[in-house]
Amino acid sequence: MDDLTFRRTLYADPHTQDPNAALAAKGDAQKQAFWKEMKAFDSDIKAALSIDVPENLAEKLLLKQTINIESNERAKRPWYWAMAATVALAAVLSFALITPNAGSISYDALAHATHAEREAGDFATMDMATVNAKLANYNGTMHDGIGEVLSANFCYLDEIKTLHLIVKGEKGLLSLFVLPEEHNTRAESKFSNHEYSGLSFLLESTRLIVVGEDASEIESFSERAKKTLLFSA
Amino acid sequence: MTRNISEADAVLSGMKTKQLKYETLVKAYHADVFRYAVWLIKDRAIAEDVVQETFLRAWKSLDSLQDDAAAKAWLITILRRENARRFERKSFDLVDIDDVSVADQKQENGAVVEKRDLRMAIEKLSDEYREPLVLQVMMGFSGDEIAEQLGLNKNTVMTRLFRARSQLKDIMTTNVSTEVKASG
Repeated sequence: MDDLTFRRTLYADPHTQDPNAALAAKGDAQKQAFWKEMKAFDSDIKAALSIDVPENLAEKLLLKQTINIESNERAKRPWYWAMAATVALAAVLSFALITPNAGSISYDALAHATHAEREAGDFATMDMATVNAKLANYNGTMHDGIGEVLSANFCYLDEIKTLHLIVKGEKGLLSLFVLPEEHNTRAESKFSNHEYSGLSFLLESTRLIVVGEDASEIESFSERAKKTLLFSA
Repeated sequence: MTRNISEADAVLSGMKTKQLKYETLVKAYHADVFRYAVWLIKDRAIAEDVVQETFLRAWKSLDSLQDDAAAKAWLITILRRENARRFERKSFDLVDIDDVSVADQKQENGAVVEKRDLRMAIEKLSDEYREPLVLQVMMGFSGDEIAEQLGLNKNTVMTRLFRARSQLKDIMTTNVSTEVKASG
């Protein structure tokens, strides 16, 4: 191996296993020094490439998958589960709100709200530019005034990719889901489970869903959403 | 009856195995996959979204991963595909990602100047040189694996790696001589 090929080989891969390179360096102090230098340079490159990984990333990834399974599993439950739910609902007919069916958008919205605390992670405030970069996927923009946005993540509600904003409320965390325009006709207007209540409404032609623990707070949160969000066709 | 129970057991244990396999995958590779995503996408927030999409897709098609040794390459393939999908969607680009520096503010403050300079030099490399370098140095991929990821032949990959390092050396040498001149 001539000197030029030797240098080229090491430039391409300082950790090369090429026996010809090893042979060329054998008994040649200059080549060995060059090899050592290239290995050191590679360590520097490796150090320069390092990126801080968000602490809760692994947990977030596992959480996403858990929510995904939960909503899929429940959607797969046999018909008599739904029947039982209907009977239970009929028994409490005075109950004004609709408890959504498994595998529906609103059902999944409640499931995501249940996990909001974990999803929001370390509760760092998101800056508006990042929120807006994500909202751009839905032709939306937001200006200040909705409150402290703790997280903006894409989440699947019944297989539909939505943007899930978690906002700090006075009585717990509030969730706002933005649906893609082509799915604006689905979801009940009011729904709840034992813990959370939700509203769904249209803003221009975009469907928004808000979920929170306190019914009156989600009303005022919806109003703030209407004032701070703008969607263009 | 007995048969049904054992079938149910088998399904249940299959699910547990899949869950365990997924958790192992997340724990072992999430950091590397995220780091690679940041270098590829040049924006931490978008990178995190794409990583989430990647792992969700990985979960859904986990059964297709037969060879555990190939898991990292498999995840990177999914990530690259997920990233490409971003550009198929309309009206995405409000943020010009090329203007966003990969450099981590927090890390940069405490880091030595040379490391920062080297990082900036890597950022300056064109994508065709930086990508194979990141795959080789950070992800530990072989020339053949990089060739497969990028859809190139191995010789092209090795040439690009050679050029990437030689450009970095040039930039760093120029930096050093400028600094010497400035202080001298």
